[in-house]
Amino acid sequence: MKTLDPQSPYFIDFPGRVRALQAEMAKAGIDVYLGSRLRTLSWLLDTFCPWRSFIVVPSEGLPAAFTFVIDAARVADETWLPEDRVFGFAPMGGQDQIELIADFVKDLLKGRTGRVGIESGMSNYLPEGNLTHYEFERFRDALAPSALVNAHDLVDRLSLVKDAGTIARFREASRIVDVGHAAVFEALRGGGWKGLTETEIAGLAALAMRRAGSEWEWSFTGGNEIASGYRTGLTGGACTPASRRALRAGEPLMVDIHAMFMLGLGDHSHNYLIAPASDRQLWHARNFTDIVALTLETYRAGISPSDLAEKMIGFAESRGFADYMVPGFEHGIGMMGDEWRIGMNDGPFPYWTNPDHRYRVNEVLICAMQYACPEEDIGFRYENPIVVLAEGCEELSKFPLAVDVVT
Amino acid sequence: MSTFQYLTEEWRAEAERRLKAELTPDRMNHITSSMSNVYLDCPGGGTKHLLFRFVDGSLTEFTLGTGETPEAEFHITGAYDVFARISRAELGAQKALMTGQLKLKGNMIKALKLAAIADRLNKVLAGIPAAY
Repeated sequence: MKTLDPQSPYFIDFPGRVRALQAEMAKAGIDVYLGSRLRTLSWLLDTFCPWRSFIVVPSEGLPAAFTFVIDAARVADETWLPEDRVFGFAPMGGQDQIELIADFVKDLLKGRTGRVGIESGMSNYLPEGNLTHYEFERFRDALAPSALVNAHDLVDRLSLVKDAGTIARFREASRIVDVGHAAVFEALRGGGWKGLTETEIAGLAALAMRRAGSEWEWSFTGGNEIASGYRTGLTGGACTPASRRALRAGEPLMVDIHAMFMLGLGDHSHNYLIAPASDRQLWHARNFTDIVALTLETYRAGISPSDLAEKMIGFAESRGFADYMVPGFEHGIGMMGDEWRIGMNDGPFPYWTNPDHRYRVNEVLICAMQYACPEEDIGFRYENPIVVLAEGCEELSKFPLAVDVVT
Repeated sequence: MSTFQYLTEEWRAEAERRLKAELTPDRMNHITSSMSNVYLDCPGGGTKHLLFRFVDGSLTEFTLGTGETPEAEFHITGAYDVFARISRAELGAQKALMTGQLKLKGNMIKALKLAAIADRLNKVLAGIPAAY
């Protein structure tokens, strides 16, 4: 187990998080919380859980973590929980995840019939980790007559606004991403781009970022997303795992790279035109950088995603490029595993961003924009984690906003 | 050579003698732990338990009983017949666990560290001439 150091700039009060969740559980009449989402595991355990994992939070006292036995000792080594609160499950009598966890929960309930909070729902994010239908049925049967009730909103509410330690981790992850962008720029300039493929750019950014302290290129969308040529302008596209495509003169290049620092996430996209750049390409580039700049100026506490989208699409319309804008300007972000909707699950479409969510001070989100003109094989992407402030926002990546023309 | 009736006081005494003689603290990696085997459906009916307690690798408690299972770091539960087959080397303990014939309660991380030691212990018990 690791010791939490309150003097560290990256300190997060995990015992305090547990107590806050327990207070919410009491209000909601939840006796035991059974978390299974990656975001919940990161938020409570402070370690990455790549295998199916669970956390059981009692009404008082320390939680217990359960993960696939091959990774349990590593999780025990990295989390702040003591070793005896981390369990490995395996296909053995009494040790499979259902029986092991159900027995643990029943011990906590001390023979009473209780209400067990679970995490259910849907997500576009594949590793979200909601309880599967099969797991639900098995836990329901094993814990009967206790009731399983969906309670993910407790964690969602508590994790919405970020504390100083979390923001500091995101800030450091963004600093590392900027190192990656600098390395890519160095590699491209002066004809260095010739012969490079998208995957090589992804790799050289990864090397630079890891040297600077990144743990991995965390995004499930293929790590570092690199697109060149027509791939930058795919209709409505905002996901480009790097391909083996080689860079070519006269084409755009999109470099969307990711770093992770103590489960804080860096995610920034920078764009290039490989010379020669045509006037038309430069017109597209100006449109893009102007709308990004205006968007960043507009973010502040109190506005909503729909307010922002309306204003930005109006601007794009006035400049004659609304047809090329994907009409979304952000996505949610939190500690590793939290990468999808913004706000609570209280919008018109369940488990999607509520367009009328009002941003609050110290919410962190990814300002994310995609400009795509497929008929001209050109597009650009902007992503940057921002901290919402009372009057404005803090852009965590400091890499200068531009579409750089490289020769 | 005498034959001991499995899970009787005579068998337990012989097992304790052998465990202390053959499993030195070094062989037991100086572990401090405890394990309770719970035997279901014993001949004549009922449940028995066998408690092993090691302190710094030395066997400090080794008791056979019935009724409520004593506190231990690990509990291994299974039918008498399953344990008997393991003792006769007809069935591996790992296989019995992996097929659900035995159930382990306790922290798997620590159990993995102790797996080899448990095998040593089982081998000593398997060496006792026993009737089942």
